[in-house]
Parts: sequence; C-alpha cells; structure tokens
Amino acid sequence: MPLPLQQGLFQGQAAVEPMQVDGAPEENDNIEEEPQYTVENPSLDLEQHASQYTGLARLHRLMFIADHCPSLRVEGLRMALNYVMTTYNTNLYGIIHRKLQEAVSSSSSLPDAVAGSVHNVPPLDVPWMETTAKKAAFKLEKLDTDLKNYKSNSIKESIRRGHDDLGDHYLDCGDLTNALKCYSRARDYCTNPKHVVNMCLNVIKVSVYLQNWSHVLSYVNKAEATPDSESTTKEANLTVQSRLKCAAGLADLATRKYKSAAKHFLQANFDHCDFPELLSPSNVATYGALCALASFDRQELQHNVIGSSSFKQFLELEPQLRDILHNFYESKYAKCLKLLGDIKDNLLLDLYLAPHVSPLYTQIRNRALCQVSSQCLVTCTVVPVMKDLPGPPTCPPLYTQIRNRALCQYFSPYLSADMRKMASAFNTSVGALEDELMQLILEGQINARIDSHNKILYAKDIDQRSSTFEKSLTVGRDYQRRTKALILRAAVLKNQIHVKSPPREGGQGGEMSIAPGSASAARN
Amino acid sequence: MAANLEQFVSNVQTMSSSASFTNMVEYVSKSMDALAKNHAHIDTALATLSYSEHSIGVLALLVVKLSGAHIQDFETLYVQVQEFVSSCSEEQIKFAPETFAELCHKFTLQLVDRKQAQRGITILCQAIRKVQTHLALLTSIHPCLCQLCLLAKNFKPALSFLDVDITEISRESGHYDAKDFLLYFYYGGMIYTALKNYNRALYFFEMAVTTPSMAVSHITLESYKKFILVALIVQGKIPTLPKYAPQVVPRYIKPLCQAYHDLATAYGSNNPADVRSVITKHNDTFVRDNNMGLVKQCETALYKKNIQRLTKTFLTLSLADMANRVQLTGSREAEKYVLHMIEDGEIYATINQKDGMVRFHDNPEKYNSAAMLLELDKEMQKCIRMDEKIKEMDREIAVNPQYVQKVSGIHDEDMPASTSKGQGF
Repeated sequence: MPLPLQQGLFQGQAAVEPMQVDGAPEENDNIEEEPQYTVENPSLDLEQHASQYTGLARLHRLMFIADHCPSLRVEGLRMALNYVMTTYNTNLYGIIHRKLQEAVSSSSSLPDAVAGSVHNVPPLDVPWMETTAKKAAFKLEKLDTDLKNYKSNSIKESIRRGHDDLGDHYLDCGDLTNALKCYSRARDYCTNPKHVVNMCLNVIKVSVYLQNWSHVLSYVNKAEATPDSESTTKEANLTVQSRLKCAAGLADLATRKYKSAAKHFLQANFDHCDFPELLSPSNVATYGALCALASFDRQELQHNVIGSSSFKQFLELEPQLRDILHNFYESKYAKCLKLLGDIKDNLLLDLYLAPHVSPLYTQIRNRALCQVSSQCLVTCTVVPVMKDLPGPPTCPPLYTQIRNRALCQYFSPYLSADMRKMASAFNTSVGALEDELMQLILEGQINARIDSHNKILYAKDIDQRSSTFEKSLTVGRDYQRRTKALILRAAVLKNQIHVKSPPREGGQGGEMSIAPGSASAARN
Repeated sequence: MAANLEQFVSNVQTMSSSASFTNMVEYVSKSMDALAKNHAHIDTALATLSYSEHSIGVLALLVVKLSGAHIQDFETLYVQVQEFVSSCSEEQIKFAPETFAELCHKFTLQLVDRKQAQRGITILCQAIRKVQTHLALLTSIHPCLCQLCLLAKNFKPALSFLDVDITEISRESGHYDAKDFLLYFYYGGMIYTALKNYNRALYFFEMAVTTPSMAVSHITLESYKKFILVALIVQGKIPTLPKYAPQVVPRYIKPLCQAYHDLATAYGSNNPADVRSVITKHNDTFVRDNNMGLVKQCETALYKKNIQRLTKTFLTLSLADMANRVQLTGSREAEKYVLHMIEDGEIYATINQKDGMVRFHDNPEKYNSAAMLLELDKEMQKCIRMDEKIKEMDREIAVNPQYVQKVSGIHDEDMPASTSKGQGF
C-alpha cells in the first residue's frame, strides 16, 4: 500500500536529498497501484478529526485527505502546514507548502464556493526553514556527543536513553530510517522488561509510519513475549497492551488478514487506548467493526463484538457503525448495507482503511448471502430481507467481502433455498447468482450444492466417517510413497550414484556423463 | 593362434573343476584381449566348454563375440546367448556380474540395431532372475529390459520387475552406473505412462529427477518434462519436489522447460482456451520432444478436472450448461466425457437423456463393506512393512563398524562410505 502521500514525498524529495522514507514501500506484500480516486462529499469535521492525532500521524492523515478530497484539500493542507511548523520537519514543510500553493491556484481557477473562502497562502517561510534546520542540526550534534560520552562511560541506561533521544529527534525531523536505526540500537542496552517494551513500541511506531508491516508484527510479538515486570502498574500495562493490539491489528489490516485484525482490535481496552501517534479510539472502532463484519460468523459477532462491554464503549464513538453491526446481526441486511454505503466516503478518506474498503464490503455481502442459506429445515420462501443489496458490479474489495458475508449469512438458516427468490433478493439474475454461489462453494465458504435443473440450492451434509476413511487412505498411500522414495534414496547414496560433469577431453558431446568407478568399493 | 585358445579352454576347465571362481574371473578378464584376437576360432572353443559347468569362460567368449565389429551369423549367436542364459550356473555368474551385465547390454544393442526387440525380452527376464539375489535388487540389466519392452510395445514382461519397489542396488564390481539408474526410472515411467498408470509413472519420473546430480543429464531433463505433464494429468499442478532434489533442477533444468511451465500455469487457470493457446504456441517444442501425445492428454484431463469441479458445486446440471461451463463444443461432447468418466469411476453421476440432465451423486462407497476393510487392512500392512524395513536399515547402520567408529569420535581415518550413508535420513 504505497500511499500517494509517500509517492508525493518521493517526487518532492528527489531534487533535495534522498531522505527519510526510502525504506517505506519495501517488502510489503501488498504493493499495488493505488487507484486514483476522489471523494466528493465527505461529512468529516476536519478540525476534530485532526485533533485526534499527534505527530506524523496527523500530518500523514491530513495529507492523505488532501490528496483524495478536493473540497477539503486547502483546509487540510493549511492545518498540516501550521502543524508542521511545530516540528523540525523542514522537508515536509516544503512539500506541504508547495502542495498548498498548487491547490489554491487550481481551486481559484474554479468558480467554486471553495475558491473564495481561503486565499491568503502564507509565503514560504525561508528564515524559519533555515533556523529550524540549523536548530535541528545543532540538537543532533548535541545528542550525538552526549551519546558518545555515555558510551565512553559505558553506562547502559544512559546509552539507551541517548539512543532514544536521538531517535525522537530524528522522528521529529522526519528522518524515519535513522529514527528506526536509533530505536533499534537501544535494544542492546535494555536492562529491564519495561525498557524492552518501550523500545518495541518506538520501533513499532516508526515501522507503521514506514508501512513495514512485517516489522510491526515481529516487534509486537517481541513485546508480548517480554515478561511483565512487577514494577509497572496495572494501568501502564493495560495501556501498553492496548497499543500493541492496535498496532498488530493495523498490520493485519494492511496485510489483509481481516479476521486476525478484528481480533486484535477487539482486544484493545477503551480506557487505556491512548495512542495518538497512530490511532484514535474511533479508528479502533471503525477498523474493528468492519473487519469483524467481514470475517466473523454470527456467533462470533454476537459474543465478541456486540456482547463485548469494552468494545461497546468504542462503538459509542461511531454510532453509525454500531447501527450497522446491529442491523447485520438482526439480519436486516438491506439497511445494514445501505448504512455501509453511506459511510463509505468517509472510510475512503482513512489513510489505512481506504485500500481495504472494497474487499471488506464484498466479504460482508457474501457473508450475508451465506448466512441466509444454511440451517433451516424448510425451503426458503420469504426472503424480503435481502431486497436491494447492492449488486456485485457496483461494489468495489472491504465492500465485496461484506457482500460475500451477506450471501453466506443469507443461506445459513436454510437446508435448501430457492435460487429464483434468492436472486431477486440480491438484485441479480439467477445465472449471475449461480456463478457467484459457485465461486463461494469452490472457495469453501458455503457448504452447499446447486440443483441447476430446479434452481434450488441445497445445503450439503458431509459424511464425516467417509471423509475420514478417505483421508486416512490417502495419507497412508502418501506415507508409503515417501518411504519408498527414501529407501531407494538410501540405496542410491550407498552406491554413490550421481550424475557428474563429463571429463573435459572426452569429446563425446552431450552434457550427460556418468561417474567413472572412482573410490567406491568401500563397503560390503 | 589356436594354441592360445586351447590354453584358455584348458585353464577354464581346471579352474572350474577346482571351483576357484575368483581366480578364474581374474584370469578371464586378463585374457579378454587375447581372445579378441582369436575371434575366428571362438565357436570351436565354445563347443568344447559346457554352459553350465564353465559359465565364466563361456561368458567371456560370448562377450568377445558380441563385441566383434561385424557379426556375421547373428542367428547362431542369438541361440548361443539364449542357451547360455537359460542354462548357466547362477553360482558362477555371481562372481562376474559386470561381465554378465556387459553381455546383456551388448546383446540388447544388437537386437535394437536389428529391430528385433521382441526376441530379447524373455532372455533378459531370465537373465535378471539369474543375477538377482532377491526381487528388490536393481541390476543394470533392468533398463535394457525396459528399453526392449518399450521398443517392442510389449509392456507386460517388464511390469513384473517394475512393480517391485527397489530397496537395494546391485554392486557390479563395486559400481553402478548412474546412467543405468536414470534410464531404468525414465523407461519405467514411460512404460507406466503408456499403460495409463499415471501415479506410478509420476513416482518413477520423480525418482529420475531427484537422483543426485552435479550436472544436467539429458535423461533427467526429459524425465522432468514428462514429470510435469504426468503431474498435470494426475494432480492438475506441478507438485513440489522433495528437499533433497538436486540443485541443478531449479537452476538449469527449469529454464530449459519453459514451454512446460507455461503449460502448467495455463492449466492452473482451469481455462481450456488458455491451455490451447499455449499448446499452439509451443507446438514445435512439444512435437520435437515427442511429448505431443501427453500434452493432448493433459488437455483432455483438464476438461475432466473441470467436470469434476462441477460435481462439487452442482447436484443437477443440463448437458448444454455443462458444455458451456467447461467450454466443450456441445452437449453431445459433454455427454461423451461424462459417460467415459462414469465408466472409469472418476465421477458418480447419472445421465437423464430425456431432458438432457446430469445428476451428480455422492461417492457410493460408504466404507462399511468387508472388502473395503480388507483393503484398508492391506494398506496398513504395507505401511507396517515399510516401517519395519526402515527400522531394519537403521539397525544395519547402527551396527556398522565404520559408523560406530565415526560416531564414537575417532577421526583419524577417512571413511567416505559411512558419511554418505547417513545422508539418506
């Protein structure tokens, strides 16, 4: 997920110096071209939205919104500009300023209401940039000498703190790679578990900015494996736990492991969810709820999401999502999907969620379909609930997933379902539904078979006994086969059979030649 | 001239009667060159020796005769070899396995040259039985037999050998040629492929491909190509090779089989149109490799695989709809496929010709019949026997003096054999 924001950074930076985010788009397994989209009418209070975050998170989010939402572009960039002045990040300042200028000039050419509202672009504050750069350099030097002093005195604790300070400073300047280096170096000087956890959190933070998700996960694991020290209070512990869960959830979301993402988000503790460098509590609610919708079955949904007292507090922050969840649970799929459609614009403006909106939506829809069709004992006759689910072509990937969910859920109560009614409920033709169902069956999401003649979908019951027999037979054969191969191989090695290169002069042509009987009469 | 031969004959006779076979083998191998010079008189010498009593001597004479540049009277020679193989003394032959193998190799070569493969099959079967100490011993005569069977298109005789899983390899003068080993598995694989026993064929090709190698052998290369094709027919994808497969396979052999990998990728998409376009694109390669027949079978297998996939999702399906979904030309062709698949037990279905519907059933096997339990028991017995064999081999190694010495930490001697032995596990 190379964000456009970072691409922007690159372009902007190329001339200046190859700096901070070089490491960013590396080794993420989900690199794909971000489709350029714009969101027209979000219902987002930018001021409030931005205030939930601090540091780079705020800047990244503002810039992301500015990139994708023309109506909020100028305002967003202006806020980013103001905020960036409080840091040492002069490079980002330059970029934002340039963008702002472009945005203002382009919007003023439009006879738009926005055009008139804001115009006075602050001039590029060159003196500020210079002094800040100087200050930054000075501070860097100071921290560096400090660290050297500590090192020569070899006091572990001081060295660790020195590294941390240096990392903080780099982060403040926006030099993520160096920040990461400093934070990770502190690792060798950690003397107690608290420090280890602290180090991990720092590394996780920077890794998230760099979008290096595998790194995030590995450090989350490392932090979780660290034993709790007695000295830390329970409070602090919970905070740390929540942070780790959020980070892990974010990484899972980014790597499309929606289910484990949902589980992680659900474990976050509301009272201790204080992580403004990365996520706001309402983010946790949104991410958690959507991922849960897309990946949990009804029971899990009931137990872990709707019934969870701690997550309830999160959901209060996002009442719309709460309604969506309840509607989904109460099988009011149409209303649920409509509400989902309503909030889609806002979701698309979320830095981390945007690329996943479509798959999640599809999954949720499919879920619904499946659920409607799997346990009931009578042929389904009434399916008005599914009226006006958005059809598959209109929904782009979180959305697709939600649709799949819907399909699954639709079928879940039935032993057999009339496909004609199902098709009308899902707003598609019987043929298209048949294809969609076929896909779901092949993926193993619905356990059913289609009676194409009578257009009825039957739930399939699997004979556990037979399949166990079948499986054991194949496993047995496989074992025999592998063992035979091994026995033969043992014989081959014993006889030292192997293909060798032909001797050079043996002009016989062909690459194939065989070992002369060298040194082999060893045993027997 | 003839004096040399007379000397040879009398020596052989005395040594045979004193049963000093080891000396005789040595003597015979030394006098090979001399014998070759007296090519013209060999028949006379042969007449004075008895096949069963002086086997080693006769063997040498026959080998010399077969090595001659021009064999004028092949029929006589054929009869001589036939007689020798059927009446020679097993005991004596076992002292000179490499010469015996040479005889068979040369004999095979002659038959192949004369396009009379069929005539050698029985003789070679006998020959193998003579030198084998037990059934699971691989000799270098095995590949010859397989070659003859392939050429004669008569596979049955080889099956009795191929069906036995090899556990030991014959040491002919302490060395077994990698070429023979590869050829055995390559030819064996081809025989099984021809008989449509694809699973076994796949196993044979896999053995050929995973033979340790430092260089690319043409046999391995061809085996790998056929391995891919057969794997597509059986499993629909290229199986991962075991870890011990030699490095040369991914490094050198794979790039040489691009056409086959393309085919596998297209096959993985389940789309017959893709597969067809790959086949037309690489038509020349496939024809040149003589693999076109197998490639065509892959294509058919894909249709079958797609129909099998349908059985997972449908209870009933009209033939026309099926033809449409698996991209067959029409309901008639679909019907043909379904019919054949039902006959071969690949799917369980009934065709209703009146309204053109196919009804898929579940596997009728309920695993509750006595026959099934017997089958299960047999499979279990096989596994247990395998396990016992492994244990036995383990024990053998554990009591091997060299191994014990090595393990107990005495490193003063270099023992290549014991190290290479351990690697198999």
